[in-house]
Amino acid sequence: MPLIIDENLCNSCGVCVERCTMDIIRLDENGIPYKKYDECWYCGVCEEDCPENALIIELPFLVK
Amino acid sequence: MNLKTDILIIGGGSAGSLAAIVAKEQNPEADVLVMEKGEIHRSGSIAMGMDALNIVVQPGISTPELYLNSARIATDGILDYKPSYVMAERSYSILKRLEGWGIRFPKDEQDKYISLQVHAKGKFLLEMDSPDLKLVLAEKIKEADVQVLNRTMVTSLLVTQGKVHGAMGFNLRTGEFVVVSAKATILANGGCARFSLPNSGYLYGLFDYPGNAGDGYSLAYRAGAKLTGFEYTSCSPLIKDINCPLLYITITRGAKVINAFGEEIELEYLNTQTMLKELREGRGPIFIQLSHLPEEKIQEIERILFTTERPIQKRFWENRGIDFRKGMIELGITEYQLCGGHGLTGIVVNEKTETTLDGLFAAGDVACVPFQHLTGAFVFGEISGENAVAYAKNVQHIEISESVINDEKQRLFSILDEEGKDNKITVSEFEYKVRRTISDYVVPPKNERKLQQALWWIPRFRKEMKNIQVRDYHELSRFEEIKFILDCMELSTYAAMERKESRWGWFHYRTDYPQQDDDNWLTHVVLELGKKSGEPQTTLVPIKTKED
Repeated sequence: MPLIIDENLCNSCGVCVERCTMDIIRLDENGIPYKKYDECWYCGVCEEDCPENALIIELPFLVK
Repeated sequence: MNLKTDILIIGGGSAGSLAAIVAKEQNPEADVLVMEKGEIHRSGSIAMGMDALNIVVQPGISTPELYLNSARIATDGILDYKPSYVMAERSYSILKRLEGWGIRFPKDEQDKYISLQVHAKGKFLLEMDSPDLKLVLAEKIKEADVQVLNRTMVTSLLVTQGKVHGAMGFNLRTGEFVVVSAKATILANGGCARFSLPNSGYLYGLFDYPGNAGDGYSLAYRAGAKLTGFEYTSCSPLIKDINCPLLYITITRGAKVINAFGEEIELEYLNTQTMLKELREGRGPIFIQLSHLPEEKIQEIERILFTTERPIQKRFWENRGIDFRKGMIELGITEYQLCGGHGLTGIVVNEKTETTLDGLFAAGDVACVPFQHLTGAFVFGEISGENAVAYAKNVQHIEISESVINDEKQRLFSILDEEGKDNKITVSEFEYKVRRTISDYVVPPKNERKLQQALWWIPRFRKEMKNIQVRDYHELSRFEEIKFILDCMELSTYAAMERKESRWGWFHYRTDYPQQDDDNWLTHVVLELGKKSGEPQTTLVPIKTKED
């Protein structure tokens, strides 16, 4: 269950990494966020606080 | 990192934020420091806001006494009078404080707050429109010049001769070891949401914030504080699979609950036990029905559900192709949790938020003031801030022995095995089995033999933790959380064994003692760490009445 990123919109600001309630998001070598740990609570903070609306959470298969 | 502060607050959620802000109001000269496992703008159980303030006693409309009557019914009598009274008494000033900060509480045409009845007696629940509640609190913390250490997990409290004087922990990104010497310490780090497994099988698919792993219960227990209510393992009927809340929001606005045979389930004051029984007894699946409501009501419900607390459910329903105007919302049983806010579990506190340890205060879900909800977190956050400041004025810092620091540092960092060569069990695999075992033996229906099975597993798990693969500081934080979960499992098992009756409906239902026995068991089961045995010791403590 990845984060879906619009790479044209993402400016690699890292707010999603900063605010993630479970601290599971990191930026890859191109500055694009990804879920490093499979522990998402789908709280929606990364999506809500992204200043560019570049990010969408995909719900884990087990719960969706 | 070695720091000194007057007031240390562990956990920057609802209670911890209020504690920090109020401590600074009381004494702007005092140093106030928050250790926060997450990031303070979006931490704790209300990261995405909340739609209601569950308990508000409005002068001239209701009274604290009336609230106490409701709370006694809701807790089967396991309720000390004073803390709940004080919460009710101060609830209106909390409402006014929040309003002053720009939090919106909708009013009707007569300019009265919109209040709804979810308690046995009286309308105490006030609608609140605040998806940005946590951002507002974070802004106030910043204005108050409170120091915040984000991503910092506490692993141990500092205790000298029964007196708490700070905490140790580490930054879960950088691994920096942190020691904080404090004159007064406030625990405000939530309940244990990561208790039994959710039915979805997804470890983090919980109703409450999964960062709450029972950290505060374990820290207080290991420091020597008394705890209570651990036999009350509770769950709720919420949206099946995703476990997002919606009951109060929908039912107070006219939703019906329907069983498998299309019959409407009669709910007395939103008693979730009735719904759980329906499912247990094979009359499920059960559903929330909204289709009979007028369009504007449905839109109001959607607006709240899709913007506040768990807005992700909008995507969930879109994916399922369910429109509330036609389809129904299937309810499922959540995982079992231990919580002071939604239940009866926590650190023993009085109305001043004092724990049984000198120098240690506790507020919010970590403290046992039953069903205190968000109101309790705010009220006792305030009270803990006031009392910690007063306490800190009369005490000095206690010197921290180098050996205590070195031992904890050594213990923590020796767990790391960066290459992951030696240890083969992943943290999530280990946690899965611990929590599955909780599901197997610690939650209802309970009996002596099942609880003994749980006790067989606990030392075995603790011993086997050395085989967990911990490759970075993030995994180290999960490792420490598994320790907290195991402590909660142990406390819950001992408490359930001690209470030889059934109480609080299904949540402490024992098949070997199926009846509620008020003659012998209208009492608290209190737990503390046995100094010699290293195991929980239980004592029975009378319920405190108005006169005590």
